[in-house]
Amino acid sequence: MSARQMKLGLFLWAAGHHIAAWRHPKAHVTAGIDIDHYIQLARTAEAARFDMIFCEDAAGLREANVGIASQTSRSIGFEPISLLSALAVQTSRIGLVSTASTSYNEPYGLARTFLSLDHLSGGRAGWNLVTSASPIEAANFGSTGLKPHADRYERAREFAEVVTGLWLGKASGHDGQSFSVRDPLDVPRSPQGAPVMVQAGASDVGRDLAARTADVVFTAAQTFEEAKAFYDDLKGRMAAYGREPDDIKIMPGVSPVVAETEAEAREKHEELQALIPDDVGVALLSSYLSISDLGRYPIDGPLPELPESEGMKSRQALVIEQSRRDGLSIRQLARHFAGARGHWRIVGTAAQVADELQARFEGGAADGFNVMPSYFPGELDAFATLVVPELQRRGLFRREYEGRTLRDHLGLKRPA
Amino acid sequence: MHLAISLNIAAGKGHAVLDFGQVSSFVRGAEAAGVDMVIISDSADKPSSSPFEATTLLAALATVTDRIGLVASASTLAHQPYNLARRFASLDIISHGRIGWNATLRQNPREAGNFSRPEGFCDDDFRRRAKEFINIVRALWIGWGRDALLFDKAGGRFHDPDKMQPLNHIGEFFSVRGPLNVARSPQDRPVLIMSDPAEADIDLASGGADVVLIEGQPSEALKVAVGDLKRRAAAIGRQPETVKVLATMALSSEPDVGSLQALLESSGCDGFNFVLPADIPGLQSFADRVLPELRRHGIAGQGQQGATLRAHLGLGTGGAK
Repeated sequence: MSARQMKLGLFLWAAGHHIAAWRHPKAHVTAGIDIDHYIQLARTAEAARFDMIFCEDAAGLREANVGIASQTSRSIGFEPISLLSALAVQTSRIGLVSTASTSYNEPYGLARTFLSLDHLSGGRAGWNLVTSASPIEAANFGSTGLKPHADRYERAREFAEVVTGLWLGKASGHDGQSFSVRDPLDVPRSPQGAPVMVQAGASDVGRDLAARTADVVFTAAQTFEEAKAFYDDLKGRMAAYGREPDDIKIMPGVSPVVAETEAEAREKHEELQALIPDDVGVALLSSYLSISDLGRYPIDGPLPELPESEGMKSRQALVIEQSRRDGLSIRQLARHFAGARGHWRIVGTAAQVADELQARFEGGAADGFNVMPSYFPGELDAFATLVVPELQRRGLFRREYEGRTLRDHLGLKRPA
Repeated sequence: MHLAISLNIAAGKGHAVLDFGQVSSFVRGAEAAGVDMVIISDSADKPSSSPFEATTLLAALATVTDRIGLVASASTLAHQPYNLARRFASLDIISHGRIGWNATLRQNPREAGNFSRPEGFCDDDFRRRAKEFINIVRALWIGWGRDALLFDKAGGRFHDPDKMQPLNHIGEFFSVRGPLNVARSPQDRPVLIMSDPAEADIDLASGGADVVLIEGQPSEALKVAVGDLKRRAAAIGRQPETVKVLATMALSSEPDVGSLQALLESSGCDGFNFVLPADIPGLQSFADRVLPELRRHGIAGQGQQGATLRAHLGLGTGGAK
């Protein structure tokens, strides 16, 4: 068995990560209102020895156009902190990571809530810090518009500092630019020292914040080169903050479509792609590009020239880069991104999927992967029963949990 | 006759903090004894010493209970209305319709100090803000129509866009576009509870609360308060029986059942809210000695009449379609 093993997260999202997942005959269409479905998914992932399950979140609808929104299953779902608190007492080993915004929360409340989740789960909680780039969310919080990227990150930096201080029981009394907090958290310390800090921002400012504060970084990378460049860059930034490269686990998203044979996997993938309506694909692409009027350009023509936005800078660059590199039309790009939302997709057998994961893991481009099944529960079951045993057989993934807490699973130091 | 038990997990005095197993076994005991709801608070004059925050604890309790109503106290200072609305709507879905929100009507200066409001609000501003906050939450809860979700795989229609209404609220303290990104919950709206409304809050309580908790002593004052609340509710077109008033009582280990029954009859209240100390001996004594005694006299054991907390309390539906 190799000494270093990969980490695996299960990224939960609605009926699945494919935009048309909910329309698949075997997808669980009522996922967004069915707690038993989520308990089952968490138990499946735990039985497969995943490090953690991960919930995305936005404090608002994902899509402003109601006609588009009504053709996807993403306008409703569980608020993730309540969902994970329920899962905490229905599982015993798997980590539980929720996204929460630094723009629409206060650090004292968030620190206390995540510490509660951590205690409920016996030390298995993590917080994925996001600064919230969507104007739809801003409109639910009295804001007249989205704050500039740099301001959001400055607020996030202060927010993370206050939260960490509260978790570590540091002396109270913070009076800063965005927040003031009078008291400490007078509660028992986290069973894992402090909940795990996760980030996904990949802009320059985002990478610096991650290098300074994150334990885990999720990222989107289509090619080995992109993944490797991101990995080296982020790990290279850590020394400036007095940290070791291994103090952060970098876990790119991957959306595998796996079956017993390659032909079967391709067929499964095509079946999903055929369910995407063009207007939905184009709308999703527009949101990644942070522009609203992509629909007025010819769908079979190239992507127009775009100004850099205040929204998700890194994702936008990734889409533009891919469109230039592969000469894709708007329709082709829309289909491509709708499928895995800009994340890496592998279609094939368990051995093929394992080969690709192994290459990135051993090639120094990833410490593990955030697995994004195209639809639930079928594609999670396929990954758990086909790919996980293959990775275990190669010594690349654990057969049993080594410890009790999420920090134990990830091999992270316990904070002092 | 309805029965609630209030547990302030922040206020365990001199005892080890309760762990999840202890809280859940107590709540399951209350469930077996026919208590309608447990109201959990985690805010006190000093910082909470409990490892748990009330709404997260509620989610966990929802998965280990089947019938009992689960209520969390949450303040308008510590939350944003959009976030609070979706937290409670989610809890209601997780619990299959057994959730309530005890909306804190008093400003806790300590909370203000920890939530970047070091000066707090003046009473009048706090009151207007709380009212606006509560009304936003109530409206967000019914932004999705009951039959909005179509799940039509073949037709590609997940929901009916006409049955998803934005709120477009622009007020003095908040602006919230809506709608929620959580579906309509099983109770339409989680049960809304208010405690000890001051004179200036009574119209808010009689206009929107499903349950009002009022100090049970002195009994004459309780009787006046019950009458006042029901009258004001009727004056704005509510059925008075859809506002339940429970008398809040600290309970000794040897409850005087006769005086409880007398209070019930003389005041016209709808039942009791017993406040328990959040420590193990207190909970054990209540579960082992007090609850059986209350059952024997019909004060406990008549609750849980339906599948949801609204049904237990006889409140009718929580909102229009």
